[in-house]
Amino acid sequence: MRFCRVRSVAEAVDELSRWGTEGRILAGGTDVMPQYLRGEQPPAALIDISGIDGLQGVSEVGGVTSIGTLVTLRRLATASLVAMRHPALAQAATAVGAWQTQTVATLGGNICSAAATADTLPALLVADAQLMLVSKSGRRRIGLEEFLEGPGATALRPTELLRAIEAEPLGERSAEGYVKVGRRSAMDLAVVGLALRLSVTPTGVVNNARIAVCGGTRPPHRVPSAEAAVVGTQLVDGRLDCTDAGAELASAAAPERAREAEYRRRVLPRLLSRLAERCVAGISGVGS
Amino acid sequence: MSLLGSNPARSDADAKLRGEAVFGADLARPGMLWASISRSPVAAGRIRSIDSGPALKVDGVLDVLTAADVPDGRTGVIVNDIPFLAADYVAYEGEPVAIVVADNRAAADAGAQAVDIDIEPTEPVSTPEQALAPGVRLVHPDWNRFAVTGGADIGRDGNVVAEVVHDPGDLDEAFAVADVVVEGTYRTPRQYQAHLEPKMALATYESGRYVIEVSHQYPFRLRDRVAQMLGVAPSAVRVVGHHIGGGFGAKLDVSLEAFAALLARRYRRPVRMQHAALEERLVAPCRANALVSIRSAVSGDGTILATDVEIVSDSGAYANNGPALSAIPMFVFGSIYRVGTARIRTRNVYTNTAPTGAYRGVNGPWLVFANERHIDAVADALDRDRREFRLASLARDGDLMRNGQPLEEISILREAFDRVDELAPWQGAGTGELRGVGQAAAVWLTNPMPGHATVKLNEDGTATVITSATENGSGAVATGLRQIAAETLGLAADAVTITMPDTDATGYDAGSQGSRTTHVVGRAIADASAEVRSQVLDRASQMLEAAPEDLTIDDGVVAVAGVPAASLTLGAVAQAATWSDGPITAGASYVTPTPPHDPACATGMLIKGWPTPTYHLHQAEVSVDVVTGRVTVDRYVVCQEVGRAIHPDAIAGQIQGGVAQGLGFALSERVDLDHGRYVQRTFKAHGLPLAEDVPKVEMIVMEHVDPAGPYGAKGAAEPPIVPVAAAVANAVSDAIGVPFDTLPITPEAVLEALEAES
Amino acid sequence: MPGAAGEQSVSIRLIVNERRHQLDVGAGETLLSMLRERLSLLGPKEACCEGECGACTVLMDGAPVASCILAAGSTNGRTVLTVEGLAGTGELTALQQAFVSHAAVQCGYCTPGVLMVLTALLEDTPDPSEADVRRALAGTICRCTGYQQIVEAALDAAQLMIRAATS
Repeated sequence: MRFCRVRSVAEAVDELSRWGTEGRILAGGTDVMPQYLRGEQPPAALIDISGIDGLQGVSEVGGVTSIGTLVTLRRLATASLVAMRHPALAQAATAVGAWQTQTVATLGGNICSAAATADTLPALLVADAQLMLVSKSGRRRIGLEEFLEGPGATALRPTELLRAIEAEPLGERSAEGYVKVGRRSAMDLAVVGLALRLSVTPTGVVNNARIAVCGGTRPPHRVPSAEAAVVGTQLVDGRLDCTDAGAELASAAAPERAREAEYRRRVLPRLLSRLAERCVAGISGVGS
Repeated sequence: MSLLGSNPARSDADAKLRGEAVFGADLARPGMLWASISRSPVAAGRIRSIDSGPALKVDGVLDVLTAADVPDGRTGVIVNDIPFLAADYVAYEGEPVAIVVADNRAAADAGAQAVDIDIEPTEPVSTPEQALAPGVRLVHPDWNRFAVTGGADIGRDGNVVAEVVHDPGDLDEAFAVADVVVEGTYRTPRQYQAHLEPKMALATYESGRYVIEVSHQYPFRLRDRVAQMLGVAPSAVRVVGHHIGGGFGAKLDVSLEAFAALLARRYRRPVRMQHAALEERLVAPCRANALVSIRSAVSGDGTILATDVEIVSDSGAYANNGPALSAIPMFVFGSIYRVGTARIRTRNVYTNTAPTGAYRGVNGPWLVFANERHIDAVADALDRDRREFRLASLARDGDLMRNGQPLEEISILREAFDRVDELAPWQGAGTGELRGVGQAAAVWLTNPMPGHATVKLNEDGTATVITSATENGSGAVATGLRQIAAETLGLAADAVTITMPDTDATGYDAGSQGSRTTHVVGRAIADASAEVRSQVLDRASQMLEAAPEDLTIDDGVVAVAGVPAASLTLGAVAQAATWSDGPITAGASYVTPTPPHDPACATGMLIKGWPTPTYHLHQAEVSVDVVTGRVTVDRYVVCQEVGRAIHPDAIAGQIQGGVAQGLGFALSERVDLDHGRYVQRTFKAHGLPLAEDVPKVEMIVMEHVDPAGPYGAKGAAEPPIVPVAAAVANAVSDAIGVPFDTLPITPEAVLEALEAES
Repeated sequence: MPGAAGEQSVSIRLIVNERRHQLDVGAGETLLSMLRERLSLLGPKEACCEGECGACTVLMDGAPVASCILAAGSTNGRTVLTVEGLAGTGELTALQQAFVSHAAVQCGYCTPGVLMVLTALLEDTPDPSEADVRRALAGTICRCTGYQQIVEAALDAAQLMIRAATS
């Protein structure tokens, strides 16, 4: 195994095209290194992109948040721009591992590892995240949901580098959040993770809802049937009735592995109600 | 001023805080080889062949040893059932099959992975229930040819490793006249010690003797087991102890040390071994999983007339300490609450799983869980308040335990109920939706096994204690024993140094287990120190021309009482003594006598009595999250009797730490077996409690001086784990109104119960 | 670990405990292995080897990392602090002293990692709440203490440091 340190995106895509499927990008290494240490088949080359400054920033351009692939979870958890515009993402980043993990784990790494339990992915899905990919032969853009092909499987080509993530910030009369259920207060992989973004009209009717889950056997995904069950609902006394959406979430979870799916089926409706309550409380500018 | 009850700094704190303390896992020697173990990938099967070829091709690998290259025959603690390396069949996943020795660690590990072990798998005997099923395959077809240490009859029979039966006769009458019969089945999983420092060994072979440097809780046991495995005299093995990065029972027996010793002799080079991360998980001697069934005959007035207890615990593939531990139910049922005529049968059985072993509070957490869940069930069946019913059923001073041993101070437990109630009143506790309260009590022993100490007064007036008592982290050595020596000698605590364990240099010591160090070794040190003190006073009385009884020793100065000018430093006394009569030293031994008991009380009992008991009451208040099913412990109160608190902060640390481990056992930790193989393969998967998962424990420490203990001290470190799961399970059952008789209490189980309730 | 079969090496420069080093490390070598085996810094501990327990925690550019799963090759240009660098050859830091007075050390195997993450916390959040301290400790498992005395030591050290800074 070789260690290839690259200093620019151009160098990175050169190395990627050289090594193809034999190369593996190393960013924070929180997935790559444990796999190697467990004795899984090592790649021929680790391509260390951690020194590329151009992949680091968080910025807002033309109403879209752009997040560099190397932005760490700690940065997402603490940056004020993220806290304001993408609270679900900030909450999800906080929910990953511990400080030690968050120091080095990157958003790009989370996305490309595509774990079924990846906390950040539901938060990105409700922000309709788009991924900016680059390779020697050019650039392309792909929606996150389309990118996630299966647990651990993505549409990333061996020669491609995820350069940045673009996400739609929260709009007016909107709120979002991410909640996770693990066995302990921290460190555990999500048994269930749920992200919700809600927008309401000035009169308190839900006009947009995005709901995404992680923790099952599928990769993190949105649940359109649950979203549809929320849209059009009128807030009553500042509360949102999520009964139908909860049922949709539960039935979407049902086909999965028996015992854990049973738990998810029970938790999801309850968790959605709790999260919706929190979100609705955070929406201002709604008349009664 | 007395040092007892004060909190001097631990002797090892500075080194541990600077990262300078050398743990076993930090050891290295110039020129050392590394060895790694190739282990069985399956739970059960017949070894067809072992091909060392691929391993020998790895750069740096020197050799691969298999059963043909090592001593044959089987060894063990009680039953000699463990082969040096598996020869014809494997009995659990992770069983050592070959050893790879190399000139560096990476090569040894790669070599161990490369050994091609061809095994014809057989369907494993996975659970104790399966092990007892009629006609089941025997885990060890030759079980009847395994020798038993001391030849004791422990009721072995096929897959039954040991059976302890206490049967006072007919219970039927009591059940016939009972107004209520309450039955319960209590199921508990294994628990993983999760010490952070991996097991390791560094062995050398010098002048015909093996030297093993290690971080181990019981160097003398290790010496004896290594000697047994190698077929040499114990005196041919020297064990030297270093700082221990946690053990909790897992470092009480042999693991890889004999392999390292064998190779050190073969290669005449130091040999280093250390478990890799996965090996730690696969072969940890977890707390045994167990199934306890209790059936009680109860009269309408709340008297328990008779109790029938049936226990099956999982020994795993080998016996280890299981047969001895099978006596412990005899000290739990009927030792806290009056349970009427009791029949108790405990069977410890072989399965094709990793051998279980010692974990803090051996058997206690699941026995007390069963006992206390059952008491709650009886109280509920009678519609009695659970605390009031406990108090009404509590044993009284003079009552006999099932082994015939009198409970001399059980009234301390009654006092504990009062003390807890003052701090956290039962009435009003755990009320409100999805909130609950639970209690659990325990009477736990202080391990009686032998210890020895030599105390020498140094020529500068300080003292050194020479002992193989091991500091497992509790502070028993790093502060408790020093305080005892210093108090007796009239020194400051930091004027006493205690050696690290060395089986060549000290008398026998039975290791850090069962809270014995402060009590047993502390007693030996107190006695030896008193003798040193007496020698000091004799010498000083000549020097000061005063009667010994008129002398005081304080902070290293001997003075004539009331005449401060007439004084000498201890250094001056030591110097004078050394160059006249010789150095001042004294040694003392101690073993706690076995309490009076009825030897005929049961068959198969290897532990006869319950020495130096301490008394414990825990109370947990919990709330249940209706959304996730997660249980939060809102308040946790421990009332613990310790004899005498030598170092209160260290006791607090043991209580808080023991409760944390108990909460893990109750709520978050997982050790599951699937067809004999551990499901949890990573540290993360075990779900150990984190800082946010553990509440601050409120503590009441009661002192009831034990005349046999050093300054009255009994054991304190082990038992805080014992009642925890029971108290929490009682609280959760109270919160939801559904009995939780299986551990751990997972969010899954809680939501299932909530849904069933609604 | 150094010398693992089939690994090529890569050259790095970094600062460890205020000393500059230039080293050739293996492509798959961890920072922990580099510190322990190449620099003989045995303070960071080998334990779970999967980034769960935190006994190997060191600070990299001031932030805690699990050195057991961090590629040594990616520490080029970084500044690393291990437990040995806290007090150096001098007095214990306020945090370390608080660990002594609160009996927050038991077996001591987690202690180096716990000290490092709490050192980072007190730098980042000089007046932390108890919840801040417990959250910061999520990645360092202590099987001995049940955490309470560690939490109290950290809170006490914070107050001592604040008082020292303002006096």
